[in-house]
Amino acid sequence: MDLKSFLIFFLWLSFSFNSCSTQVNDTLFINSGTLQTYNGSSINYSCFNESDAFEKSNKVLSYLVTDTVSLTIINNDNVAHLFKVNELGVESQLIIPGEQETVLIHSLNSGTFIYHDAENFPNHKIIGLAGILVFRNGNYSSFYWNLKEIDTVWIKDIAENNMVSTIYNPKFFLINGNNNPNINEDSLARVTGNVGDTIIIHVVNTGNSIHSIHFHGYHLKVEQSSEHPSHVGRIKDTFPINPMEVLTLELVPHQPGEYPVHDHNLIAVTGANIYPNGMFLTMLIEP
Amino acid sequence: MTRRILFLFFLMGSFISVGQQIVNHQLIARNLGEKEMHDGVVIRTFGFAQSFGEQPPIPGPTLYANEGDSVVLDLFNVSQGAPHTIHLHGLDVNQENDGVPHLSFEVHHMEHGYYYFVAPHPGTYFYHCHVVSTIHVQAGMYGVFIVKPPDGSNTTWDGGYSYSQEKLYTMSEIDPLWHEDSVMEHDHDTTQTIHEVSIPEYHPSYFLVNGQSEQQLLESEIVLQSAKEEVSFLRMANIGYLANRITFPEELNAKIISTDGRPIVNPEISDTLWISPGERYGVLIEPIVDLIDSIEISYVNMNTLTSEDIQYVPVLVSGTNGLNEVLIKRTFELYPNPSADQFYIKSFGQAYDCINIYDAMGRLVHVENHDYTEKKSININLAEGIYNVEILLSQCVLDTLKWIKR
Repeated sequence: MDLKSFLIFFLWLSFSFNSCSTQVNDTLFINSGTLQTYNGSSINYSCFNESDAFEKSNKVLSYLVTDTVSLTIINNDNVAHLFKVNELGVESQLIIPGEQETVLIHSLNSGTFIYHDAENFPNHKIIGLAGILVFRNGNYSSFYWNLKEIDTVWIKDIAENNMVSTIYNPKFFLINGNNNPNINEDSLARVTGNVGDTIIIHVVNTGNSIHSIHFHGYHLKVEQSSEHPSHVGRIKDTFPINPMEVLTLELVPHQPGEYPVHDHNLIAVTGANIYPNGMFLTMLIEP
Repeated sequence: MTRRILFLFFLMGSFISVGQQIVNHQLIARNLGEKEMHDGVVIRTFGFAQSFGEQPPIPGPTLYANEGDSVVLDLFNVSQGAPHTIHLHGLDVNQENDGVPHLSFEVHHMEHGYYYFVAPHPGTYFYHCHVVSTIHVQAGMYGVFIVKPPDGSNTTWDGGYSYSQEKLYTMSEIDPLWHEDSVMEHDHDTTQTIHEVSIPEYHPSYFLVNGQSEQQLLESEIVLQSAKEEVSFLRMANIGYLANRITFPEELNAKIISTDGRPIVNPEISDTLWISPGERYGVLIEPIVDLIDSIEISYVNMNTLTSEDIQYVPVLVSGTNGLNEVLIKRTFELYPNPSADQFYIKSFGQAYDCINIYDAMGRLVHVENHDYTEKKSININLAEGIYNVEILLSQCVLDTLKWIKR
């Protein structure tokens, strides 16, 4: 038994003796496929999916803080990958094609995190391999936004193992792999609820650009900011989010209606000369 | 008309406490405006005016109300082409008054549209058109809406900080290509919620503060002029498509106290403030020394995270005739910063003949000798780090700028 295996066994043993801890088993599949952009072109893309069928959005991992998660990552791709959650100190062994690795994940505190492929970073992240991990205190009404923009030239260069030589210039802007109007079809993304509800929105930026998310109709409270902890408690209508930053936002709607949420870098609500495209969706709040 | 009658009944049935009023504003939407830039170039604009005889200013007129006032905003669209709306950005109005075409209503040529709301928390908000907003905001259809405390006093909010003067700085950019007829006169099918329009790549060449740039910032409305120990309230807002990194002279003792119309519970004392598109911040300053300096506003590309330009808002504390000194002080500009293998030195009219670049250890790593008066591109391959760029004329150092190589 090598040192790392021993440590994993020791952690597992520690969690097993914790009477409050619940063991949860979960699986991620690393799949490669193609992403259709709004102008009809296809680009190579990879994601952490919940089955061995390629999906263009990474699986949302959501657990209770009392959970100890045994997560198995199966590599269906033809290159090696490495699963990592920086803030929780979780890192797998290198996962070679056709093989699998298991990591134990536990968080003492609730929060939103990014899991990503740390092999050949940031290139594997740029081609899609980064998702949302949440540890929560209870069963709140929760929604999940994985913000990511697409520079098709960069992705093509990375997929073909070429040196990226152009200035980053994304033309497509996605939330959970979708652009407007398809984002509203994603039940994990489209905020719905009633006046007075407490709604938690977990936002991560797995792209390379800064985004500035503006809410119509409501102000929200910052519950967590990975880059700016001093911003916790601020009440705002527009939330900048830097690359690899996470935000947890609390919304308690005071009025009913259907209101947009969108990037206020208004270039990011377009794509292929379509408006509104990109990072634009609506929230639907009933009385 | 029905909406107006309903609103009047609402007001008659509502209890309006003493001091709270009905505030009427009218904005006239125009799409044949013209704006002269700092270099004399004239571009076409869309915008909001308050009379028929004026060019629609950029930004549009600043509108005011006191907390609790009932506001009636009359949008009169006197422009052919696509309809327009008013989105009340941050004011959290109800859906009907939110100004998003397919969720609210749009205002067509020679029609009036009325927006009703009660002014909420004191703070700084935007109004802007939400019809193909990517194009119409860039075209100039935006302005600031300020909500003061219920008594209209120079107080940040009821029970908040008192101040003697306030200044509003609204940042944006202009890409002249977006102001050509081929972009501005876009098709618009009002039966559709998704529109196909020509949206060029965004390469702004004008970087604005209150619609002004470069030497225009020396105008008295822009200059921050203060007495020593005087408290001023700065309202800073970004409606552009780049992020702003604001650097205050540390002698101003800048304290960031509010954002997006809400107080910050633990105000932040900092000489640096980032403002992303759509955000607003309230900053209190209280200089303790006489000062001639400037607030540096960097315009940062959201994708490359590099600075595309820097503008300077002059600051005069206890000075009344210091504008020329400010102008001399900002003789050179280095941008983008940080950057990779290339940056530019821009001169504001000052000739120079040599550029020396020193590394962090003080070693001279690069020299260029030429006669320059305007913009100079420097292409250089150095290790990542911080460098001092020395600009000289006849072996006299005119200025030293810091460059971050990434």
